[in-house]
Amino acid sequence: MNHDIYQKYFEAMPCFLTVQDRNFRIIDANRRFVDNFGEYHDRFCFQVYKHRPEKCEICPVELTFRDGRRHSSEELVRTIDNHEVSVIVYTMPIYDDDGNITAVMEMSTDITAIKTLQNQLRESQEKYRLLFEEVPCYISIQDQHLSIVDANRMHRETFGTSYGSKCYEVYKHREKECMPCAVRETFKDGLIRTHEEVVTSQENQQINVLVSTAPICNAGGEIEKVVEMSTDITRIRQLQDKLSSVGLLIGTISHGIKGLLNSLDGGIYLINSGMGKDDRVRVDKGWDIVQRNIRRIRSMVMDILYYAKDREPDYEILSAPEMLTAMHDAMKDRARRLNIDLTCEAPDEVGEFEADRQAMRSLLVNLIENSIDACRIDSSKENHRINIRVGSDSGKIVFEVSDDGIGMDRETREKAFSLFFSSKGAGGTGLGLFISNKIALVHGGSIRIESEVNKGAHFWVEIPRRRPESKLSLEKKRLEMEG
Amino acid sequence: MSDAQKILIIEDEPDMVEWLKAFLEDNNYVTISAPNGEDGFTLAKSDKPDLITLDISMDKQSGIKCYRNLCDSAETKDIPVIMVTGVATEFKRFIETRKQVPPPAGYFEKPVERDELLKKVKDLIG
Repeated sequence: MNHDIYQKYFEAMPCFLTVQDRNFRIIDANRRFVDNFGEYHDRFCFQVYKHRPEKCEICPVELTFRDGRRHSSEELVRTIDNHEVSVIVYTMPIYDDDGNITAVMEMSTDITAIKTLQNQLRESQEKYRLLFEEVPCYISIQDQHLSIVDANRMHRETFGTSYGSKCYEVYKHREKECMPCAVRETFKDGLIRTHEEVVTSQENQQINVLVSTAPICNAGGEIEKVVEMSTDITRIRQLQDKLSSVGLLIGTISHGIKGLLNSLDGGIYLINSGMGKDDRVRVDKGWDIVQRNIRRIRSMVMDILYYAKDREPDYEILSAPEMLTAMHDAMKDRARRLNIDLTCEAPDEVGEFEADRQAMRSLLVNLIENSIDACRIDSSKENHRINIRVGSDSGKIVFEVSDDGIGMDRETREKAFSLFFSSKGAGGTGLGLFISNKIALVHGGSIRIESEVNKGAHFWVEIPRRRPESKLSLEKKRLEMEG
Repeated sequence: MSDAQKILIIEDEPDMVEWLKAFLEDNNYVTISAPNGEDGFTLAKSDKPDLITLDISMDKQSGIKCYRNLCDSAETKDIPVIMVTGVATEFKRFIETRKQVPPPAGYFEKPVERDELLKKVKDLIG
């Protein structure tokens, strides 16, 4: 009676059931097995299941015969009508009354449908991973502690991201989180946010990015992570800066020209009226004004050309003392006419350096002209003094220009090198010091000012004696980018 | 010459002072000058000129501050002031910020048209 029931259960089991002897010969099987794999009598498991001539290399039935334990494996088998079926195989020993293993029962469950789903899922995951990896923007995923838990290829390559680092360390080289933090805010309210940032790559390059943050929720709808997607907009920003600079430039040039025209007009009036009155002193004054303003127009045009060119320095070996002495010779008489004593210290031993001749000359002329103006409009004393000198300091050439003119307050000092700032009314074009600073930077150098109101000003210009290769290649890259 | 009208030129650009002086003196005015707003205000009080030309963009004290002082002082508030500037925006800012001061008697942008300036001066002080 019991035997019949068990036989019924055995037959009805919704899986493929076989009982095998030590030689893997099938001695019993259920109906489902027969329906799918056909006649089994006097046939081996590997023949029926896999259409193989010999035993499989790893065989769970063999393992169970050996150690008496249950084993399982995943297999691909083939039905009688040649369909591949994925199965999970479980094996268990069958003992006789003396406790010896006489047979092994093998139960194989069809998991083809699950397997197909799994494959589809894996493929779709791979597809999304590929998209995530290759999308041309920076993507990082942050947890509640602002630690980066995932990032795409462009992100890793640009920022050298290591998982677990804080986003503010990676993006901005900061020690503390940003205030406000868009990721934190998205964690709070689940809203998508977009804003602009300047981030720094692992090579210390500044990148303008448009950042969007969006929540990633779990099945329960709770925000588990936030994705941060940043698009590089550096080139757009550069273009915008350039365009607005051009606008500013035109404004400044017009303002400068208005002042220069006014002075030229005044000079011409003095010449004409002086000639009419036969007043030689007045004519001379007029000529001085005309000459000075024509020189200003010339240097303004040179500055504009330099600004417009935006070029790499045309390097050559220059003698620093010779350059400064020549400049002193050219400018001292003009300074004297304005009661300015222009002195020069240019010892021969300072020697040579590598720079763009025309650019360096513009830089120094701008600084000296700036000092002359600062003295000329200083009515607090009759006579002024400007000293120009050159020295060297650990691989650098240092030019100095100091004057005892009107001096600068803090704001003027801080804004001195910004585009189109001039404290000198009609006198300054607002371009000279900006260009000077730009020339120094392009040469890998710098300009420093010390000045106080009514106490004159002192400029230091440091230029590396040898051209900085890195700076040059960087500049080249930038120029290439800008086309 | 003793009854000639006196004009105070407040201007920090020496070239500008030079020609304004020559031009106004050629037209029978007496001129005095100051290189900044502070000195200009002092001179206006002590010398009582008949008219003032005032540059707006000056280093030491802006023309706008000086104009406020001139308007606020009983000694100088009746002296007509002609403003001269190189920057249109400065005047715009001045106009926008004026609350307690009346508009200036005249306003010129650089480059200054000589004949128009002279006409304005004549209209104001003869």
